[in-house]
Amino acid sequence: MQVMTDLFARVFGDGLSPLGLLIAGGLTMALIMALVMASCAIVFTWAERKVAGFIQSRYGPMRVGRWHGVLQPVADMVKILGKEDIVPQDADKPLFLLAPFVIFVGSLMAWAAIPFAPGFIAADLDLGLFYIFAVSSAATIGILMAGWASNNKWSLYGAARGAAQAVSYEIPLALACIPVVMITGSLNMNDIVIAQQGGIWRWHFLHDPFLFVAFLLYFVASIAEVNRGPFDLPETESELVAGYHTEYTGMRFAFFFLAEYANLFLVSCIATAVFLGGWQPLFGPVFLPGLVFVIKAVLLVLLQMWLRWTLPRLRVDQLMHVCWKVMVPLALVCVLGAGIWMLATGQAG
Amino acid sequence: MTQYLRGIYDAVASALKGMRITAKHVVRKPVTLQYPDERWVLPARFKGFIINDTNLCDGCLRCAKVCPVDCIYIETMGKGKDRFMHRYAVDYNKCIWCGLCTEECPTFACQHSLDYDHALYDRRRLVYEFVDPKRPVPCHKERRLQMGYFVEQVAAAPPDPDRIAKAPRRADLPEAAPGAGGGEGGGA
Repeated sequence: MQVMTDLFARVFGDGLSPLGLLIAGGLTMALIMALVMASCAIVFTWAERKVAGFIQSRYGPMRVGRWHGVLQPVADMVKILGKEDIVPQDADKPLFLLAPFVIFVGSLMAWAAIPFAPGFIAADLDLGLFYIFAVSSAATIGILMAGWASNNKWSLYGAARGAAQAVSYEIPLALACIPVVMITGSLNMNDIVIAQQGGIWRWHFLHDPFLFVAFLLYFVASIAEVNRGPFDLPETESELVAGYHTEYTGMRFAFFFLAEYANLFLVSCIATAVFLGGWQPLFGPVFLPGLVFVIKAVLLVLLQMWLRWTLPRLRVDQLMHVCWKVMVPLALVCVLGAGIWMLATGQAG
Repeated sequence: MTQYLRGIYDAVASALKGMRITAKHVVRKPVTLQYPDERWVLPARFKGFIINDTNLCDGCLRCAKVCPVDCIYIETMGKGKDRFMHRYAVDYNKCIWCGLCTEECPTFACQHSLDYDHALYDRRRLVYEFVDPKRPVPCHKERRLQMGYFVEQVAAAPPDPDRIAKAPRRADLPEAAPGAGGGEGGGA
C-alpha cells in the first residue's frame, strides 16, 4: 500500500491526515484488487476456451471481436446479466442469496496480501502467508451454504464433496509452504519475495530438491483447492449437473464463476510469490516488477489449464487417498528434508 | 510399500505423458473449417438441393410420381400437342434428398446441385419454383422441336449428368457451390 499512500500524499499534500491517507490508500487498493478479480474472470474465461480449443484441435471462440473471439467474455457477461434470477421455492432464501458473496469475499480478502510489486501490496502483514490460508478457508463455508440452501440433494452432495476436498487439501497446501517459511524466517510476503533476489537460482523452488517437491505439492494442492482440473468432482458436469451451484442462475452464477477464476489466479499468484520469486526477474536488476509477477502467475494459470484439459477426473475416494496418503506424508518429508538441508548447508541460525 | 511408490510414479509419469500429447495437439493446425469463410471441396456426386433444368424438362411427371414424399409439384395445362407445363416446384419442407427423382429423369433435367446451405427465415420460401408461369414449358415432342427445346430422341448425346458438379465454381466464394441452377428460389 506504500505506493498508494505515497501517491495520495503527493496529490493531497498536507490535506489528508495520516488516517485519511491510510483509508484512501486502503480503499483504492481494495478497488484495484476487485478490478483485478473481475478482469481475471474476463481474461481467463477467454484463455480457457482458447486453450481448451487448441488442445482439442479446434479453434475456440473466433467470431466475437476481430481477433480470435477476444470479446467473447463480454458477450457472455451480457448474456448472463439478461438471465432470469430464479430462487428455488423451498430454498433457504437468506443463505441462498448470501452464498455467492461469501465465496467472493473469501477470495477477495486473500488478495489483500499478494505482493505484486515492491510497495504495491494492499496489506503488508507480518503474518501475510498465514492470513492468506486462513481467509481462503472462508470460501468453504460459502460452498456449504450454496449446497444446503439450494434444497437439492445433488447440490448437497456436491457441496459436501467440495467442502471435504477444500478442507483436506489445505493441509498439504500449508505444509508445502513451511519449508519456505523456514528458509526466509518470516511469514511476511514481501520478505519472502525479497529473499529470492539474485536470479533464478535463488528462487525457492530451486533451492533444494525438497523444496522443488514442495513446489509441486503446493501446485497440485492448489488445483484441488480451487476445484479445478482433475479435482473438479464437486462440479462435475456429467454427474451432478453443476454440483453446488446447480440452482443458481444469472448474476449469482456469474459470481461463482468469477470467484472460481479469481481463486485460480490467486493460488497461482501465491505460488509465484512463495516459490517462483514473485516480482524478481530471471536475472539482473529488478525491472518492471508488476509485469514480471503477472507473467509468472499467468504462466502457472496456463499450466493449470493444460492439466485440466489433459487429465481425467479423480473419483472422490482417489481424491482423498491422494491427499491424505500421498501428499501429506510427502509434505512432511519435505519439511523434514528442507530442515536437514538447511542444517547441513549451514543456513540455520 | 513398493506398490505405493509405484503408484505415485505411475500417476506422475502418465500425467506428464498425457500433457505431452495435448501439447502436441496445441501446436498442430486445428481441424475446424471456419464455415462461412472456408468450405469443403465437395465431391462431384454430392447430393445437394435438387434443381431442374427447365430447358431439358419435358413434363413427363416421372420425378413427381417416384417421389416418396410427394414434394414435387407439377402443373400442366392443355392436352396432346398443346400440353404445357406451367409449374414445376420442389417443396424442400418435405424433400428427403433421396435422389430418386434424379435417377428417374430421362432427360437429365432433374439433378443434384452442390448447394447445401439454404437456411431461410420463412418456411414458405422453401418451395422452389423452377418455371416462370409466363413462359410455360412445352411437353409434346413436336412442339418442343418447334420451339427449340431439347428433345431426347433427336439429341446427338444426352447432357452430361455430372454437368452441374463439373460446372466452374464461383470465383468470389472460396469453395461455394454454383447457384441454384437455372431456377429461381421464390415464394409460392
